[in-house]
Amino acid sequence: MVNDGPEKEARLDAAVLRWMQDLAAQGTLLTDEELRVLGWNHWLEAHTGRRASEVVGRNLLELFPELAERRLDRYYLSALQGQVSVLSQRLHGHLLSMPAAAGQKGFERMQQSARISPLTREGRVIGTLTVIDDVTERVAREAELQSQLEARSRLLASEKAAREEAELANRLKDDFLATISHELRTPLTAIIGWSNMLRSGKLDDKMRARAVETIHRNAYAQNQLISDLLDVSRIISGKLRLDVRAVELPPILEAALDSVRPAAEAKEIRLHALIDPLAGPISGDADRLQQIIWNLLTNAVKFTPKHGKVQLKLERVESHVEITVSDSGIGIAPDFLPYVFDRFRQADAAATRHHGGLGLGLSIVRQLTELHGGTARVESEGEGRGASFCISLPFIAVKGDPEGPGPAHPTAGGGGVEFDCPPSLEGLRVLVVDDEQDTRDLLRAVLERCGSEVTGASSAAEALAAVEALRPDVIVSDLGMPGEDGYALIAKVRALPAERGGRTPAAALTAYARTEDRLRVLRSGFQIHLPKPVEPAELVTVVANLSGRVDSEAGKK
Amino acid sequence: MKLSERQNDALAELINIAFARTGAALSELTGHRVMLNPPEVSVHPTLELSRALSKFIPGEVASIHQVFAGPVAGDALLLLNHDGARHLTDLLTDEQSPSKHLDESAREVLTEVGNILLNACLGMFGNLLHVHVSFSVPRLHLESLEELLASLVTDKDEVHYALVISTAFHVRDSAVKGYLVMVLSVASLDRLIQEVEAWEARQVQ
Repeated sequence: MVNDGPEKEARLDAAVLRWMQDLAAQGTLLTDEELRVLGWNHWLEAHTGRRASEVVGRNLLELFPELAERRLDRYYLSALQGQVSVLSQRLHGHLLSMPAAAGQKGFERMQQSARISPLTREGRVIGTLTVIDDVTERVAREAELQSQLEARSRLLASEKAAREEAELANRLKDDFLATISHELRTPLTAIIGWSNMLRSGKLDDKMRARAVETIHRNAYAQNQLISDLLDVSRIISGKLRLDVRAVELPPILEAALDSVRPAAEAKEIRLHALIDPLAGPISGDADRLQQIIWNLLTNAVKFTPKHGKVQLKLERVESHVEITVSDSGIGIAPDFLPYVFDRFRQADAAATRHHGGLGLGLSIVRQLTELHGGTARVESEGEGRGASFCISLPFIAVKGDPEGPGPAHPTAGGGGVEFDCPPSLEGLRVLVVDDEQDTRDLLRAVLERCGSEVTGASSAAEALAAVEALRPDVIVSDLGMPGEDGYALIAKVRALPAERGGRTPAAALTAYARTEDRLRVLRSGFQIHLPKPVEPAELVTVVANLSGRVDSEAGKK
Repeated sequence: MKLSERQNDALAELINIAFARTGAALSELTGHRVMLNPPEVSVHPTLELSRALSKFIPGEVASIHQVFAGPVAGDALLLLNHDGARHLTDLLTDEQSPSKHLDESAREVLTEVGNILLNACLGMFGNLLHVHVSFSVPRLHLESLEELLASLVTDKDEVHYALVISTAFHVRDSAVKGYLVMVLSVASLDRLIQEVEAWEARQVQ
């Protein structure tokens, strides 16, 4: 009975231990020093689906061959050597394969954290204790938190990038506005100055001719600036429409060369063209293609010093047609090359002052080229070593005969068309409608010079009265007028019976030259659309056409 | 107490063997090549430990702490600074975006890494001394160095020394600096150094 004490105590200890293990909200696995399972608690029974009665007494590594396959047996072997091991979830995932509790989204298997410790008595290892925690919920929570943090930092990063981009755009816009006001004022200065001198009437014939010439040249220069600006804004707003047809490139290139030739000759720059006559045709907008080439050539001439050389080359390269404009000019620094085609960018503000221009030409070149499905690239070996711009346009097998480039637009090239009144307007009555006195006067002057009788009207109401009272042969009307506009006017005219002037042919004047504007003009009852600024020769031809003079003459031939 | 150059070299060489084992174990575990810099060993009285370490580890430290007991007893710690601890877990667990804080799972990884390193070193010492050392389960603490040193299980009446072993973990082109600190009684340290010398003498033969 004396020995009963410690034995009883040991039995009690074992019972308490089992009871505590079964209560635990974690797995506890007990082995002896030969890794035979001695303890397998309720938690493990519940999660592995294996009863203690099935596993107790059997060797752990034989029961779970997976342990050796995943090289986890070494932790048990080192526990037998007296070492404690921690098995983190992130590096091991799990110790024993158990299904994740129902409702744990995204996890089939329970995520575990485990500790394997030796059990020692008097310095000798007598077994091992493994404690397993289910950390699936924690892992899911951490992943959720991490993705929220990442989403937040991505958001912050993109906000920051957007802000920086907006700031840069703003700065470029400011620079651009400074440039634009300078550029628009420069021709105006000449125009105002010379026209003041003309008004004073003190100029002799030679000086008068020079004044008119200067005013004319500067007005065209300014018109070009405004055209560029309008092009850019149309491109930005996606409103630029291409009038796509089959196009032969050589005549377009020739026309562009012709228009820069005077500028090149003035600087004694040699213009050299290498044109492969078999390169085309391609599918594109002839006017826009000419604009691309003209921009590149103008640019090359502008940035090439006296006695330099500019070369234009057209060749077929595989399925593309390549147009290359190379020059012996000031070249481009390598760090500026990537920005050459960006809007509002010139290498520096000093260059802008030195060379003039808005820095829009090349941006327009790229945008127009891309609208044609092509690419624009630039090469330069550095400052002072010239530059080479290459436009690559897809060669498209065109059905049927190419129609050719068609006549160049009268305003293209900026040189203007000689005005010598070919069609006579003798005896024609023309009603000119515009709220601006200056425009009315200009139109009147042009039309009267060719022999027509011109009546002016400054509003739609005045014009409508004049139509009935005077029965003009042709109406030329502005579209944008305060109150009733040109569209309202033509609707009222067309509502009149024929004998009261309801069929009077009419031309619309507008600065908006988009395709959809032209369509609206034609649908509303005008016969034709004339873009502003008006070319005298074009105006006279149009009026003659509308009156039937040209048609009838052509019919006689 | 100061180590002679020879003692120092011998100790460093032994620890390097444990480091190689640690590197191999971590490489296998993570699938990345993990290497530890050859150790630099120094001995400091525990009272000067705070000054010696604060130069290296200002601010909060992450420590993996295991108490060992037996004929040779003391505290073994792996110390990392907070950023280093974060960086090391990110490197070892293939975390793509750097973590902002040490979550529970990251702390567990650190605990395992510290455990592997401490096991390798202490196991090696145990073998050398032919003694059986028993370990506590490792614990990770995030606290200031002062708080950590105050918590070490040492008999205040006995003079203690700390063996400070500095190294760096090299993973995927990055290095994370860490310190292994073993706080021992003078008697234990003396015994360790004697055994190290005996080992070194055997190597020379």
